[in-house]
Amino acid sequence: MGSYLAKRLVASIVTAILSSIAVFLIVRAVPGDVVAQMLGQSGGAGSQAEDALRSFFGLDQPLYAQYLSWLGGVLQGDLGQSWVRGQPVTEIVLRAFTVTLQLGLMTLAFATIIGVPLGLIAGIYEGRRIDTAIQAFNILGLSAPVFWLGLILLIAVSTLFSWSPPLIYRGPFVDLGDNLAVLLLPILSLGILQAAAYSQFTRQCVVGAFSEDYVRTALAKGLPMRTVFAKHILRNILISLVTFMGLILIQILGGVVVIESLFALPGLGRLLLTAIETRDYPVVQGALLMVVFSALVVNLVIDMLYHIIDPRVRVDK
Amino acid sequence: MTEQASTSARSARPTQSPLRRILRFARKEPSFALGLALTAIILLIALFPSLFARQSPTDIDTTASLLAPSAEHWFGTDELGRDVYSRVIHGTRVTLSIVAGSMVIAAFLGGIFGIIAGYVGRLTDMAFGRLIDVVLSFPPIILGVVISGVLGPSIQNLVLALSIVYIPVFFRIARAGAISEAARTYVEAARSVGLTGPAILFRHILRNVMPLIMLQYMILFPLVLQIQAALGFLGLGVQPPTPDWGAILEEGKDYILFAPWLSLFPGLFIMVSALAVTLLGRGIQKRMNG
Repeated sequence: MGSYLAKRLVASIVTAILSSIAVFLIVRAVPGDVVAQMLGQSGGAGSQAEDALRSFFGLDQPLYAQYLSWLGGVLQGDLGQSWVRGQPVTEIVLRAFTVTLQLGLMTLAFATIIGVPLGLIAGIYEGRRIDTAIQAFNILGLSAPVFWLGLILLIAVSTLFSWSPPLIYRGPFVDLGDNLAVLLLPILSLGILQAAAYSQFTRQCVVGAFSEDYVRTALAKGLPMRTVFAKHILRNILISLVTFMGLILIQILGGVVVIESLFALPGLGRLLLTAIETRDYPVVQGALLMVVFSALVVNLVIDMLYHIIDPRVRVDK
Repeated sequence: MTEQASTSARSARPTQSPLRRILRFARKEPSFALGLALTAIILLIALFPSLFARQSPTDIDTTASLLAPSAEHWFGTDELGRDVYSRVIHGTRVTLSIVAGSMVIAAFLGGIFGIIAGYVGRLTDMAFGRLIDVVLSFPPIILGVVISGVLGPSIQNLVLALSIVYIPVFFRIARAGAISEAARTYVEAARSVGLTGPAILFRHILRNVMPLIMLQYMILFPLVLQIQAALGFLGLGVQPPTPDWGAILEEGKDYILFAPWLSLFPGLFIMVSALAVTLLGRGIQKRMNG
């Protein structure tokens, strides 16, 4: 376990460093940097002002020097200063991250509570009418674009219940009722899609398990279906279900960009979008790094859970 | 079908035309048949939009702004009085060709690099593998947003973003396929008769990995379509006045409560297209698995 963990960590760190370089380079691929944009907006200026601003932002330094100084800060938890808002990026990113984290975890909970039971039912009653109905839900849920589902839900609640969510986001510790009211539709629209994905996956696992020898043996020796299901099938597909949870969490992490911008939530996704629009490099880098970092952590945790649930899995031979 | 025709069809099985085989399979699998029919209709719309919509998708008529759906404007009109039905119909080709095109690029590059990495192995494999890991460390849509956002919204940048995002998926499929093919006897035989690496790779391994890549293409298509639409919805995709499903949704989002038809119909087309390809893909997968 120890050496496996160490190897896995090293691999993650290497990926993290390479990703940080990618993050850094992507941001600098912008045609027209922040300086050009600032000066463009203030109605043009001489090259002297341009040079002064460039050196102020450190853009006159060679790329590798810019990267190293940024990386040095990152390792100390300092993501720099926002060029547009003048606040520390670490603070901005962490504040946005808490919003996204709450949204993500609640969506995951919703998707699990809805998706797994549906998948189990569909798998058990494979080929029956209820299976067909659940599969139809899965395929439709996976075909509908998330943001479109959000729009439809918005129309539906406002016409059916003449209710619309509060426009301003409040943290759960400020006003829990308002907080949940704001998050309700985003969670539903992201959650339905993920529930469909989870249900489809769970169904596949159950159907697959039924054709395994150990299930056939258990049934053949006369064990009741209920026992076979609880003691044999559930236990064996659990590991796959947990792994899939990580995949879903990463999907949600991506999906928030659209949903947050649709519902005006001040999360990581919307932060990223506005920072790209205003060419606020340090914030773009910080937000992207946070996303990549979260995805890496999720993958790492899932790998470890995998290891704990099923000690037979030894990736390091 | 008469008795005679059915016997001749049976005897001709090995050389049966692909179309007939597909139709026969469709008769057995209703969901595949539905997917096939929907795909055919969507393709017709994409190829001949003017057959389906007579009005111009870009003509502005400010006197007809934000009209609800009616006999004249089936899907209503937008803020500038353009006919939403014809925008959606004409957007079919724009949207789907961007998705299909980016995926062809992704499948081509991912496939080539994948079989090389899988066949050559060692250092090449490791180097490619690291690069792919980096791309995969970003959630797909985030990477799409960043690339097209940073480079600026345009069709070229959108295609670039979508293809970069999906290269890794094809890479992995092709690599795994190449590794398992390379271990087969026919590769050993080819090598022993003196065929060179590239010849084995492109003449033999590629041919056997190709079906896997094509199946993956079908499976990914609905996903890429949704991401394409999401980027359009965020204003990072096709720019006005060109009709594109995601872009129409973006234009409609400010009127969501007064003019829901602006959002309803393009989304429905995205959903139906995704559904059509998903059903097709599932059918093919079922067929391949026996």
